[in-house]
Amino acid sequence: MFSFKLGLKNLTRQKRRNVITIMVIAFAFFSYLLMDSLMNGMEEMSFENLKNYDTGNIQVTYPEYWEDREELPLENLIYLNQDMEESIKNTDGLLGMSPELRFKANLNNGIDEVAVQGMGISIEQYNQVFNTQNYVVEGSMFAPGESKAVIGVSLAELMDLKVNDYITLLVRTKDDTFNTIDVEIAGLVRAPNPMINNGIVFVPLDVAQQALNVGNAVSMLALKTVSGDEDTVTKALTDSFKNKNLDLKAYSWKESAASVIALSAAKKGGIGAILSIVLLIGMLGIINNVILSALERTEEIGMMKALGMREWEIVFVFMVEATGIGILGGLAGCLIGYAGVSGLVKYGFSIAYIGGDGSEFGIPILDRIYGAWNYPAFSFLFILGVVIAVLSSILPAYWAAKKDPVKAIYHR
Amino acid sequence: MSLLELNKVKKIYQQGKIEVPALRGVDLEVEEGEFTTIFGPSGSGKTTLLNMIGCLDTPTEGEIRLNDKKVSDLSRKALAMIRRYNIGFVFQSYNLIPVLTAYENVEFAIRLTDHTSESQMKEKVLKMLAEVGLKGLESRRPNELSGGEKQRVAIARALVKKPKLILADEPTANLDSENAAGVVDIMRKMNKELNTTFIFSTHDPMVMKYANRYINLKDGMISADERRE
Repeated sequence: MFSFKLGLKNLTRQKRRNVITIMVIAFAFFSYLLMDSLMNGMEEMSFENLKNYDTGNIQVTYPEYWEDREELPLENLIYLNQDMEESIKNTDGLLGMSPELRFKANLNNGIDEVAVQGMGISIEQYNQVFNTQNYVVEGSMFAPGESKAVIGVSLAELMDLKVNDYITLLVRTKDDTFNTIDVEIAGLVRAPNPMINNGIVFVPLDVAQQALNVGNAVSMLALKTVSGDEDTVTKALTDSFKNKNLDLKAYSWKESAASVIALSAAKKGGIGAILSIVLLIGMLGIINNVILSALERTEEIGMMKALGMREWEIVFVFMVEATGIGILGGLAGCLIGYAGVSGLVKYGFSIAYIGGDGSEFGIPILDRIYGAWNYPAFSFLFILGVVIAVLSSILPAYWAAKKDPVKAIYHR
Repeated sequence: MSLLELNKVKKIYQQGKIEVPALRGVDLEVEEGEFTTIFGPSGSGKTTLLNMIGCLDTPTEGEIRLNDKKVSDLSRKALAMIRRYNIGFVFQSYNLIPVLTAYENVEFAIRLTDHTSESQMKEKVLKMLAEVGLKGLESRRPNELSGGEKQRVAIARALVKKPKLILADEPTANLDSENAAGVVDIMRKMNKELNTTFIFSTHDPMVMKYANRYINLKDGMISADERRE
């Protein structure tokens, strides 16, 4: 116990150096916690923005369509019938269903033309599944039966369009002939998912079906469930389709979020790399501290050996000191990390600082990433930091304790 | 029976390819309770001899016996245990731990050997500090003590575990004559009261006169060995 006391008292020596080491460890912890919060926040927001503005919780379509869905084909579409609708609607845990007809189009404002994605929606059903209606910044979503369109603010700015302007969508029908959809803009939307703002034109489903000559077909059905129930509902739907010999398949939003999931996996790798750097900084700080202390206290180590202290007892004294530095650095890091994460959760980090919106980086976030709390990261980092402090002190402490007593006493 | 016996002890240091003999065959017997001084010119081997006796170093040749136990070929661990329980050291530069008070510096030594109750331990430490004339200065740190006071703490630290043998390498070299006399007075007093054996090296004639045995070391060999009452 006296060795423990001595180790703690040694923390008050070389105050400046100890404080610098503690600050370095604290800053490394702080950086990690901030980055972890930002990455987790980005992941959460990305997933929410996908579910709430793009995919819904579950998408139902034919596997053949699913494979080619990026191409927005007019093949393998779903022709809704009562049997299908019933098997979907009767599934437990379902909160809404939105049929969608996705198609390629060129948006023409009379002067310029730009490639966009057309989206035929049944507005009442769409509003049950998606939150886009809450982000209409000018005008409104079109009402049922209205032959109007809603586009994103960014697209409107690009094409110099405003509410009540008329637009023409040049489309290729199912039969490979050209057709146009002429509609008035009912509203401009600025959704948290930049993909909605930049390149999608919402039109009524019946208008799209008629223009594309696809009858009552839709590309897919977007479903809303209680968050977290996706897998259960997906399985129930798949079973139900199988029982009714329907070739339809249900896909959880995770399957259409491959790029975001890949980004999330990369995030884990990135976080791991940051963690390694943080721990390396901590280790180097501690090793440096123990070596310098041992060099400065060579005569003292000699005296300890003369008193008959065993090597492990001397190692223990240094380890206590190193652990103290690790604990103080970890605590300080967690404290300033808490403050930093609080700021990030409250005020967020604007993507505009690094230019553009999230779509330019492949993330469905418009302008500001908010941090997310990851409390286990605090305790995990703190414990890991202390363990690393203990472990990294062993070798240099052992090096110090192994000194020849005569050489140590006379500092030769 | 002698407390300490050295038979033909040699110590040769290797400096690159050159062998430097520090001790060239020392034979010595020290009885319990002796107050022995080792003197001689610089480089005569005084410190090397003390290191051998103190189990801090091992001889290249020859045998050392402490309490009739051969210690010259023991392992590092075993030597540490011999030092812990049998030998006290007093160094020229005190070697006190600066973050510990005078009390704690002494307590540090006794904690390694004594596992009695807190109150008994406290009593022993305070008594020892009082014996060396440091009553009232127990809570001072080394930087708040004079050189003489620091050396008294070092003596108390060496004595508190009641070792059979205390080795002091130039214990008064950093002290003025008044403090040096004070320190040697205390060593002599402890030698008489506790029958602890003291062996110390010194250059100081004033210190030498306190000893009852004089060993003159020259070129790594004992050139004179006198006892005086």
